[in-house]
Amino acid sequence: MMEGSISNRMRILRFHNGEMSQAELGQRIGVTRQTIAAIEAGKYSPSLEAAFRIAHVFNVPLVEVFQWDVNATH
Amino acid sequence: MPYREKTAWLSLLAMVVTFGPYFTMIATRALPSEPMPNLRQLDLLAVTAIVQVLILGVGHLVLWRASTQEARMPLDERDQAIKRRSVSSAYYVLIAGMILVGSVMPFNSRGWTIINAALFMIIAAEVVHYGVVVFSYRRQA
Repeated sequence: MMEGSISNRMRILRFHNGEMSQAELGQRIGVTRQTIAAIEAGKYSPSLEAAFRIAHVFNVPLVEVFQWDVNATH
Repeated sequence: MPYREKTAWLSLLAMVVTFGPYFTMIATRALPSEPMPNLRQLDLLAVTAIVQVLILGVGHLVLWRASTQEARMPLDERDQAIKRRSVSSAYYVLIAGMILVGSVMPFNSRGWTIINAALFMIIAAEVVHYGVVVFSYRRQA
């Protein structure tokens, strides 16, 4: 199986969106603050739907939020 | 700490402080062996169950009041994934236990021995259930 992991730019995007809090982002996509924290830390991979919702909140394409990092492993 | 993790810790604690002493007394044969229905045994089980319900009731009330907003939120996708994992792990413990208790034990045991063995397997499955919940939340914290 191909090695790699999902990385994300959520922290930067939150910063560029008025230092949006994890709680606010969570509220807007329908998950808890802890789930946003887990996604940001790379400890939980969101569903495709949640990933699209996050990208929609930041008004950017999905690939600007999540990337597949072939060099990294969990 | 998420509300769901706190409730899982509470459930684990309630089981340890109630069924821990219960099964210790059973294992050390602290109760005299009496014919069925063995009211002393029944009393002990009733007290254990009542104490557990009280701990869970008071504990849930305290936790709910401390984080009302989070408690009212429906399970999100990560909560549901953790729940699915924990229930499926507990299922294997329960099914293995029930096969043992229901298919093997009737040939060499009877009465309260079988009842307690069934109870033990149910509690073991619950411990696995809440243990997996706590472990999953801790791992992703």
